[in-house]
Amino acid sequence: MSGPAARPLGAEARAEIARLAGLYEHRQSALLPALFVAQREHGYLTPEALAGVAEALDLPLSEVVSVASFYSLLYLQPVGRHVIQVCTNLACMLNGCGAVVRRFRERLGVAPGGTTADGRFTLRTVECLAACEEAPAVLVDEDRWARVGPDDVDRVLERYP
Amino acid sequence: MTTEPTVRTVTLTIDGRRVTVPAGTTVYQAARAAGIEIPIFCYHDRMPPLGACRMCLVKVDRMGKLQTSCTLPAGDGMVVSTTDPEVIAGQEAILEFLLINHPLDCPICDKGGECPLQDQTFRWGPGRSRFVEAKRDFAKPVSLGPILALDRERCILCWRCVRFGEIIAGDDALKGFERGWVSEINTPFTLPVESKFIGNTIAICPVGALTSRTYRFRARPWDNEPVPSTCTHCGLGCAVWFDVRGGEIVRTRAREAPAVNDVWLCDLGFFGHDYVASGERLTAPMVRRDGRLTEASWEEALDLVATRLRQARDRDPRRVAFLGGRRLSNEDALVAARLFGEVVGTPHRDHRVDAPPGGASLEVAWGLRAPLEEIGRGEVFLLVGCDVTEEYPILWLRMKAAVDRGAALLLLHARRLEVRRHARWERVVRADRLADETVSLAEALERGAAAGSPAAPAVAALAAGRGVHVFVGRFGLDGPGGGAVLAAAARIAARSGGTLHIARGKGNDLGAQRFGVLPGAGGWAAPEILQRAAAGDLDVLYVAGSDPATAVTDRRAWEAARRGVGFLVVHEAFRSATAEVADVVLPALVLPEKDGTVTNLEGRTLPLRAAVRGPGAARGDREIFSLIAARLGALFTYGTGDEGFAALRAAAPGIAPGAVLPVAPVPARSADRTAAPPTGASAGGAALILAPIDHLFTQGATTGRCRGITALAGAPHCLIHPDDAARLGVEPGALVELATEHGAAVLQARVTDATAPGQVLLPRGFDAVAAHALVRWPHAVAEVAVRPLAAVSAGSLP
Amino acid sequence: MATFAMPESILLRWAQTPGMTELEPYREAGGYEAARRVAAGELTPEAVIEALVASGLRGKGGAGFPTGQKWKFIPRNAPVTYVVVNGDEGEPCTFKDRTLLEGCPHLLVEGVLIAALTVGARKAYIYLRREFYRARRTLEAALAQARAAGLVGRGVFGSARDVEIVVHSGAGAYIAGEETALLESLEGRRALPRLRPPFPAQAGLYQRPTLLNNVETLCHVPVILTLGPQRYKDCGPPALFSVSGHVVRPGVYEAPLGVKLRSLIFDYAGGLRPGRRFKAAFPGGSSSMLLTEEYLDVPMDYDSLRVLGSMLGSAAVIVIDDSADMVEVIARTVEFYREESCGKCTPCREGTIWATQVLERILHGRGRPEDLTLLEGIAKGMTGTCFCPLGESVPPSLVASLRHFRDEYERHIAGAARDH
Repeated sequence: MSGPAARPLGAEARAEIARLAGLYEHRQSALLPALFVAQREHGYLTPEALAGVAEALDLPLSEVVSVASFYSLLYLQPVGRHVIQVCTNLACMLNGCGAVVRRFRERLGVAPGGTTADGRFTLRTVECLAACEEAPAVLVDEDRWARVGPDDVDRVLERYP
Repeated sequence: MTTEPTVRTVTLTIDGRRVTVPAGTTVYQAARAAGIEIPIFCYHDRMPPLGACRMCLVKVDRMGKLQTSCTLPAGDGMVVSTTDPEVIAGQEAILEFLLINHPLDCPICDKGGECPLQDQTFRWGPGRSRFVEAKRDFAKPVSLGPILALDRERCILCWRCVRFGEIIAGDDALKGFERGWVSEINTPFTLPVESKFIGNTIAICPVGALTSRTYRFRARPWDNEPVPSTCTHCGLGCAVWFDVRGGEIVRTRAREAPAVNDVWLCDLGFFGHDYVASGERLTAPMVRRDGRLTEASWEEALDLVATRLRQARDRDPRRVAFLGGRRLSNEDALVAARLFGEVVGTPHRDHRVDAPPGGASLEVAWGLRAPLEEIGRGEVFLLVGCDVTEEYPILWLRMKAAVDRGAALLLLHARRLEVRRHARWERVVRADRLADETVSLAEALERGAAAGSPAAPAVAALAAGRGVHVFVGRFGLDGPGGGAVLAAAARIAARSGGTLHIARGKGNDLGAQRFGVLPGAGGWAAPEILQRAAAGDLDVLYVAGSDPATAVTDRRAWEAARRGVGFLVVHEAFRSATAEVADVVLPALVLPEKDGTVTNLEGRTLPLRAAVRGPGAARGDREIFSLIAARLGALFTYGTGDEGFAALRAAAPGIAPGAVLPVAPVPARSADRTAAPPTGASAGGAALILAPIDHLFTQGATTGRCRGITALAGAPHCLIHPDDAARLGVEPGALVELATEHGAAVLQARVTDATAPGQVLLPRGFDAVAAHALVRWPHAVAEVAVRPLAAVSAGSLP
Repeated sequence: MATFAMPESILLRWAQTPGMTELEPYREAGGYEAARRVAAGELTPEAVIEALVASGLRGKGGAGFPTGQKWKFIPRNAPVTYVVVNGDEGEPCTFKDRTLLEGCPHLLVEGVLIAALTVGARKAYIYLRREFYRARRTLEAALAQARAAGLVGRGVFGSARDVEIVVHSGAGAYIAGEETALLESLEGRRALPRLRPPFPAQAGLYQRPTLLNNVETLCHVPVILTLGPQRYKDCGPPALFSVSGHVVRPGVYEAPLGVKLRSLIFDYAGGLRPGRRFKAAFPGGSSSMLLTEEYLDVPMDYDSLRVLGSMLGSAAVIVIDDSADMVEVIARTVEFYREESCGKCTPCREGTIWATQVLERILHGRGRPEDLTLLEGIAKGMTGTCFCPLGESVPPSLVASLRHFRDEYERHIAGAARDH
């Protein structure tokens, strides 16, 4: 079969994927969690990572890539060590997230969607994070930042090496 | 009084017309039954309704919103309108939405003229678009392999192609990627599409998003004359339309045949017609003079052939043998059998040119023992030494539908099948273990399998299922221990109350089998014909509808035969390897140029209609046989149409156009065989064996002259297991030399766990690499050494 | 001005009491008693459902379907039944589920247990949106405590009944909050909505009968069973409103169903920022039709809002004051649906991209007068033609903004005409 050779995922990753598959009546249910396991291991979902997941779950590669590409938090392109997600939906927009985005852009020198040259940050604008009582809301990796103003940007960035 | 089960019906009104349909019918289907046309894109009646395109909206009295008629079950008393102003507004809205990003490609788009989007826009569209923005813009077209061209701008995301791959073919070839307005149909990473059915997606695509590179810019549909005929490649006999333009077949399409291929076709059928118009067609007879083949007149050639036949017949009719039949029509085969059986008087006739001596192929009639429709209703399919998608792809589509209804697919072969994901049980073993494994399975079924044992799932399915179908393929029959494989398969079929099918035979092999191209009393089967020829026992070897130089599974046996025979006559369309060494070559028509019939693997009689005229002075095989018969003093008349058919019916009572005359069930005595003669006394405990194997996209005399098939076939290659590759230092895609004691070949290595460890599989059918030069009768496999070749530093190898 | 005294809550208080994420405090406050009674058979499935019906509880995810009725639809004798919890809170400016998960995960766990025991499910999946990292950690910790105490897993509460609960995170797709799309996502596929019928109650997860409920809905269940339906109704019945946008005190508030929109904004959430005037509000997330000043006294309940052409939806009140440009607000809103559209059906996929292109042109000074009629036309084309509610959510506010704030559109367009 043509396509990227399935470089096996690490033993731990495979074990985790096997464990996940056991939680469901049908193993394809483990696909999203498995993709995150692979994404953690490779940094993003490389073709090899995707092929590895396909092999681990015995699913067609086409289906795995098709599913992965549907979801915003599965990255099929390289991302920085840290992903900054600035909410731009209504409550955050009404509370001035635009200025926050602009400050991030200035500090990082990238437009939303872009990754800094040193590979440290990827900046993204995203939809509602369900943190509207703390608008503007920013998610960096798994950390939620509340009431972020332009002047908080430097403090946020400092925290992520 | 009849006691048929009553079907519950519903009666509804559509546009004022009362329609009564079985309960469960959708409003769309009910409308169609009433002759009311509702526009659709995503709906395809061989797949469950999707409701995605929203084109089929109708107004229903009892429901507030417009409804998609393709998903709505018709309700009793429903009042439906397809002409209400709300419906019209909805249709116009959907078409306007579809067209906002659709490029104005019609003048250069292959789909023009047979395009549902064009047709529906014309009939149901708004007339003008209010869109003034920039249209979505993709690089186009994108090649997804040698055949498929994808135009993402034209795609209206109807999802038909994706669902075809998921539901019908089970190959998941095309998928949707991303979501929302950036959705696109593609293969993963835009790699070449992997499917044997991609021609169907091109056919069902309602726009020009999926097109064939082989047909690109060749014709508008109104330029073509469609000729209904039958595909003669794999032997299933799918119904086709040959689209003819300017005296040439420019395209093949599926023709609906509910009993055989339904509305589908495989890529061998779709793209396997170029050879007919090839410039390499033989147009004049050739006679060998002073060691060289030179053109001759028909008179001269036929006279020469007749003379040699007469001389041989006078000496001893059994010094004449006839080989071939796969590429002959039923009518050709009948006349050939009469010519050689009656006029010449030899019992040595056989179409089974590719069978090895002592192989189980020679012991049992070829063919399916139940019609495809019945197989499609089966609950258990056991495939032994049979790779269904490489050999009979349309048969797989029947199985897939059954699997989706819960049927069990059980696979036992020397290679991993593409369709394994749909299987309930799979065993991949080295060729020399296939017999033992089949016997084990039979024993496990008869004695009961311990829970948790490897065969348990298969035994459970076989024991419980009704509608069991056991298929033995060529690899099983002619491989090591083929007799034992056949016997064990028969035991399994018997024990499970199922049907045993001999999945063997390509082209019109079944027609040759039915109409007498088989050994008569005391006659030699094909391998023996060749061996006797080599021994000098034949004065004339007559070949028609076959290419033994390629097909005989031991190259040296062929070579010895053709050298040993006194006179070799060949009917051929091309200067094949067989023709190259013949004494007389008679230019023959190919099946798409003939009127007549063929017999498919079910034993069904299917029509051939000449789509184009043959080139030059080429003649039909039947005509040639008759001209020779005449020179031998026998007058053959054959009518056309009903008269011609009467002759066939006389030879095979019970045949009728389109109907199955079943092949007789496999005799029980096959089940008695235990020890098999050593057809494949394998290389015993050899570490690495070579096993030739069939694949769909071969490169023979005909398929090698079809651009699409050649592209799909790729370069000659072999399959090596990762363990062996690692041990031998073979990198994926590297060139390797395969060497057996009989010969060597250089080709590309594909490292894959589709083969078993210790076994190199060699797809046969590449003229460039003679698989049959590497093995010797009576063995089907050979011990092999694999040597990776050093990379050429400044080379440009493909 | 009288200071507003917020009524005592009976539901939200669980999430607002410190320490309530832990098992012991929860039990001490009476938690898991209702579940125990169900597990012990003291409360039969029929009694549970009767209580839910009597309470009038309706789904809190947006559709507002009567909960008791939904539970009744699950066939009892199926070999396998599932409970699936919709924790994919993605409706813009809704954050009540997140609040409950982070504040009182045990309340949800108890609701899930009761649901599973009532409909005969032995396995429940809680589908959380992936961005809920804190909520997931809190929930997993609570589940671990509950498992250790024998309240979840094999033989819950010492009964013969098993209820296993698995937490499953999504991967970033708003459409996965639509219940059939959620099932597709939970099965490991693209989150595309399914055709209905069949409904999840008949054929849901893996085509098995499935009870699908929103997080908040299930959190109401233990409260209803503890207080009894009558007292529960007397306390409101309680509804959780997420109030955000241009308000002084954005947050989740528990108020009686039927509370006036004006009260939510000006009493509960502290009103507008100083010097600002009310312009508009979405009463139930951005999928609901926006309401102007004249509708501030509408009771916030399912029927009153429906009659206006809007909806209670996820009860997320988004307040917009006069500092906002409505065209920008609408453009951002439609853009949200464009980004989150699954792409399956024509009108949503094409309508959202087309509408945003027109709105962008207007915002960037290239609008034309006929663009307003065009936007209305696009909205009409998407009305009643989409496969699922996502696409259907776009027209109402777009059309309402063109009706009530046409002058703002015209100002942009006039500016364009002026500049060209």
